[in-house]
Amino acid sequence: MSTDYITSPIVQISDMVKEFPTGDGAFRALDGVSIQVDQGEMVAIMGPSGSGKSTLMTLIGLLDTPTSGRYILDGEDVSSLSRLEQARVRNRKLGFVFQNFNLLPRLSAVQNVELPLVYGRVDSRQRRAQASAALEAVGLGAKLHNLPNTLSGGQKQRVAIARALVHNPAIILADEPTGALDTRTGAEIMALFRELNREQGRTIIVVTHDPEIGRHMDRVIGLRDGRLAENILSEYYGVEVFERVEREHGLEPVPVPVRRQGEASRI
Amino acid sequence: MLKEQIGMALDSLRANKFRSLLTMLGIIIGAGTLVAVLSLGNALQSSVFEQFVDLGTRRIAVEPGDPRAKGARDVPGYGLLSIQDYRVLEDLAAARPDLFRTVVPEVAVNTEVRAGTTAIRALLVGTSADYPEVQTVPMLAGRFLTAADEADGARVGVLGYLVARDLFGAEREALEAAVGRSIEVNGQPLTIIGIVDENGGPFSTDGRVFAPVSTVRLRLVGDLDLPGRGLQVNSVLLGLTSEQLVDPAEAAIVAALRSARNVPEGAINDFEVNTPTQALSVLQGINGAITGFIALVAGISLVVGGIGIMNIMLVAVTERTREIGVRKALGASDGDVLGQFVLEALALSIVGSLIGIAGAIAIVVLIGAVTGIGAPISWSAVAIALGFASLIGIGFGFYPARRAAMLQPIEALRYE
Ligand SMILES: Nc1ncnc2c1ncn2[C@@H]1O[C@H](COP(=O)(O)OP(=O)(O)OP(=O)(O)O)[C@@H](O)[C@H]1O
Ligand SMILES: [Mg+2]
Repeated sequence: MSTDYITSPIVQISDMVKEFPTGDGAFRALDGVSIQVDQGEMVAIMGPSGSGKSTLMTLIGLLDTPTSGRYILDGEDVSSLSRLEQARVRNRKLGFVFQNFNLLPRLSAVQNVELPLVYGRVDSRQRRAQASAALEAVGLGAKLHNLPNTLSGGQKQRVAIARALVHNPAIILADEPTGALDTRTGAEIMALFRELNREQGRTIIVVTHDPEIGRHMDRVIGLRDGRLAENILSEYYGVEVFERVEREHGLEPVPVPVRRQGEASRI
Repeated sequence: MLKEQIGMALDSLRANKFRSLLTMLGIIIGAGTLVAVLSLGNALQSSVFEQFVDLGTRRIAVEPGDPRAKGARDVPGYGLLSIQDYRVLEDLAAARPDLFRTVVPEVAVNTEVRAGTTAIRALLVGTSADYPEVQTVPMLAGRFLTAADEADGARVGVLGYLVARDLFGAEREALEAAVGRSIEVNGQPLTIIGIVDENGGPFSTDGRVFAPVSTVRLRLVGDLDLPGRGLQVNSVLLGLTSEQLVDPAEAAIVAALRSARNVPEGAINDFEVNTPTQALSVLQGINGAITGFIALVAGISLVVGGIGIMNIMLVAVTERTREIGVRKALGASDGDVLGQFVLEALALSIVGSLIGIAGAIAIVVLIGAVTGIGAPISWSAVAIALGFASLIGIGFGFYPARRAAMLQPIEALRYE
């Protein structure tokens, strides 16, 4: 009998369209995007600025409703839920990490981490225990009672990560989690995500502009002008580098033309 | 959840202490005024207005029945009051201390009063030392009767202002010098121990000479007894604990006297009960109007306070749009957010009204201590103030809270 885990899809999005009303007609920020993310995967969403990465994340995170398209999250069709049901799903299945941390300034680290459990109606003692454990897990066991403004950027993001996983969600969504951090701290945060993915099997989707981060992912979903784009990493690296990346991942290199190399954001 | 939300609400009050205080000001003033005014209302009624309307508002007088009245029965001595009736009322007062403070008899006889060569006619009133409790007796000189005078049947008397003036002249020195002198009442010697100052109005003491009942009966007038019933009494004055209790007190008096005097079922009372209803209704009308007006002002102040709360809650919702977005991203439902902000408004109004109520209690107690007015805190006013303030908090907090609740999570998160 095979004991290999069977990967099951967590996120299945098909033909998703998101339009924003603007002065001159609707602006189509996502134009028929279909993606799938499996359990235990760590995926990056990459693409040029304005390509629709954050828009896609907010739709995956049920923070906004799509203009059209179908979305199955963890086996449940969440395409047309009421506001209350959406809130419940966010509370049970989703964990968010934001670029600017979004910690509540008057709450201590552990109180911030407790928030998803507060809204999940977990009783206060268990809440405190789970939140403390989550902070231990991200290496902040000594800072439980610090207010956010007494923490460094990296520590704040660790608190935010603890908050995103404390309630054991099906998936963690992080929109540019290292965007406000220096390179080294950013690398530490990414290492933490990696560790959570490897050791706890957490499914993680990260939006990033950093090709170094992207190439350490299981997979990169590319976006350009609201549509899926193949080989998006090649926009950041030249072909040679890209080939090296693919070799490292045990893939056959596919030749791609070098584009806009000068603009690449290098580390 | 409620516990957490209450915690959050109080936290945010604490986070903006000064702003919260300013916001609560309207509620503080409104609730405080309401409690102070309604608490002092009674005291005002009994103490301040008393000076105009006299103790008469807190007194019921029992007087003889009119034998010529329609329905009067044809029995000897019909309608007259005696010491027996006085005792009945005394027992009633002892049994109902909630209604009655004192019972005072008046035994009145028209007599001749003589000082040296001057003689005038005056009403000699036999009464007790408690008389000042049912009638204002401002002393010009000397003192009023005491219980000891009563017990001894002492030959002492107190003159009303007109009596004293007619006998000794209007000069103050002469009147003061009269205290201690002896006069003749009904031919019997009586030592003046006090003179009552001029005291007009319907219950004036001016034309009277007061002496203990025992003195009047034993030493001054002789036999005043009704056949088989003891000393005849002209009226019995009952002091009430509160002018609010006139109706139950009157009912108790009527029941006790009818039973003691064997008034048959269906017959009219063979005595009269004079209640201060008219004075009272005027008094209560004035008092009610004043109380009502101030309560209205307090109510307006509470409503204005509510608008202040609404204003600050709208500001808070705008300021904390991002927080609302974060909370929603973490799973807060519309109801959770609504509850949080309504509770915050409610906390503002409740804390505000508690501060106001505490201040009002302090003021009422202070006024009580300084002026000696017994002003009990009106707990129903406290309840009204709290209840009204809570309603206002919920009412005016609802709209901002709903605005917060209906925010789209992503728009709230994007808000700069
Ligand atoms: N609320 C909105 N109203 C109108 N247009 C919007 C709205 N939100 C996003 N857009 C547009 O949709 C497009 C995609 O925006 P999105 O934020 O998803 O880009 P992004 O890929 O996250 O960019 P960046 O890398 O700069 O964060 C942009 O052109 C943006 O102007
Ligand atoms: Mg973005």
